[in-house]
Amino acid sequence: MSAVAQILSRPDLPDRADRDAPNILKTLLAIQSEVGHVPPASVPEIAAALGVTDAEVAGVLSFYPDLRTSAPGRHVVRVCQGESCVANHCGRVLKEFEKKLGVSLGETTRDGRFTLEKVYCAGNCAAAPTVMIGEDVHGRVTPEKVGTLLKDCR
Amino acid sequence: MTRRLYIPQDTTARAVGADRLARAWEKERGVEIVRTSSRGAFYLEPLVETDGPQGRIGWPNVTAQGLPKILRGEGGTPISDIPFLAKQTRAIFANAGVTRPLSLEDYKTHGGFAGLEAALRLAPEKIVEELSISKLRGRGGAAFPVGRKWQTALETHADQKYVVANADEGDAGTYCDRMVMEGEPFRLIEGMLIAAYAIGATKGYIYCRYEYPAAAAMLEAAIGILTAAGYMGPKAAVPFDVEVFVGAGSYVCGEETALLQSLEGKRGMVQPKPPYPAVSGLYGKPTLVSNVLTFATVPAILARGAAWHASLGTEHSKGTIALQIGGRVKQPGLAEVPFGLSLEEAIEQFGGGMATGARFKAVQVGGPLGSLFTKAGLKTRICYDEFARAGAILGHGGIVVFDQETDMLALARHFMAFTADESCGACTPCRVGSVRAREVLDGFVQGRGRPGDLDLLADLGETMKQTSLCALGQRAPYPVLTAIEHFRKEFR
Repeated sequence: MSAVAQILSRPDLPDRADRDAPNILKTLLAIQSEVGHVPPASVPEIAAALGVTDAEVAGVLSFYPDLRTSAPGRHVVRVCQGESCVANHCGRVLKEFEKKLGVSLGETTRDGRFTLEKVYCAGNCAAAPTVMIGEDVHGRVTPEKVGTLLKDCR
Repeated sequence: MTRRLYIPQDTTARAVGADRLARAWEKERGVEIVRTSSRGAFYLEPLVETDGPQGRIGWPNVTAQGLPKILRGEGGTPISDIPFLAKQTRAIFANAGVTRPLSLEDYKTHGGFAGLEAALRLAPEKIVEELSISKLRGRGGAAFPVGRKWQTALETHADQKYVVANADEGDAGTYCDRMVMEGEPFRLIEGMLIAAYAIGATKGYIYCRYEYPAAAAMLEAAIGILTAAGYMGPKAAVPFDVEVFVGAGSYVCGEETALLQSLEGKRGMVQPKPPYPAVSGLYGKPTLVSNVLTFATVPAILARGAAWHASLGTEHSKGTIALQIGGRVKQPGLAEVPFGLSLEEAIEQFGGGMATGARFKAVQVGGPLGSLFTKAGLKTRICYDEFARAGAILGHGGIVVFDQETDMLALARHFMAFTADESCGACTPCRVGSVRAREVLDGFVQGRGRPGDLDLLADLGETMKQTSLCALGQRAPYPVLTAIEHFRKEFR
């Protein structure tokens, strides 16, 4: 059984607790948290399991920026682009990451270690600029600290 | 003698090293580490505190090597002597930095559940009346009178009603909801329980954004504790269940109708109103949707009385506002104050003025859709009516100060690109207008701006303001047009 099929067979999914229609977003998030992303090829399988159309599943999948359709690198580095970070010149931090990793925003390093992304506000505005690596939030990040942050990702 | 050290476990405190301190010191003999919420004086984090004869003593910006000094009692400052904190009127954030987020005992010793107890002695209609007298307005941004919303939800009859906390705190520059959820999750849930009792709801959701994993985990834990303690669940005084639902990174899902679509698992598309959610919301049932901070304010109003709340602030803006002052100021952090102080006072008294080497250029209030002010606008008082007169919004209380190195054209382009990225596409003015405006701004960035382009932006902006379905499209032109108004020379 594929990883997606296993998740789809979980008793709590599809969540139909107090409604007729299944919760597509919740199902996709559950798949992403186990598999790391939602393979577009699995859309028909998900739709069949939920009893909805492929179009409905694909529509939800394409709407949400945080739903991934391909596997990210081992470490997802997200440089915050919120206003407080912009005011604190986070563009310089982003440039340093691009330089050190040799990739542009949205890309994954060739060795598959890092994916570089932006986040639109990590809620760490009082300690800007902010960088999220996985779920860890780092504050007061200067371009000089970028090297150490990357080195700490093992 | 064991010395107790209080170290915050808030995300921002951790982002600047609080966990490192806790890990480094946990095996020290004679030291007991207590993880609390953060006071919100983030420029001082990591702020480590000990018990003093007259209250807590704080050591700001501590590193792991700072322990011996703290243990010898050298160099600490009584917390009550820190002007940033002493000048605030803390009601919703009264326990910030004091209590342990998941200690029910701490919560109750510091006034927790006094609001719920007071509410349970009242009839639902009377609770709604209290909220109306308190003049509380929604803190998420729309500032809708809370009493009126509850009234509608109460009067609409249905077999099932819902209470939904909007924890999709998407406005950049704001984090007060995150502080409530991470620091005092019981307060949010207490507010939701009061709402459930008042309108007759049995099921609730907290729609928490994807970027706040620590807040979601804290809420889950708090729900477990309250259920075990009998405050929640089918047999509680208020039979009510709450589920935490984590979103997937869409800004527009902070708009209530889009949020409800998302909660149903669909695309987060904005829906035309009416019907309002209080009449027909989640799964077509009456649904009370309010921001986290709004719910967190309700227990204090019930416990201390509507008159207390109505005595704070200005004529049309009652209570306190949680200002989140950031950007290039010396002292970024959370300042809870009654409405009515000027922008300048907020930036000077709490922000501490500009950061070293930075000169003031502009300030944006109210998140990515908020207007920009220059020095000339700093006398504007922080209240709904003065901001409305200035064509501005308070939004969720974010204040971001920009310095002389900020390129206003790049900033304007950044704002419009944000709207173009986040537009749900339900209405044409926002979907097409934001992309077109970004394109025009790109022209300026690439040095091929044409005469008439600024008029085009103004015209496009006016159309978006007048005809968009929700605040995203209606407000998106404001930061761009105010940037052009104040810094026209940079747009060519």
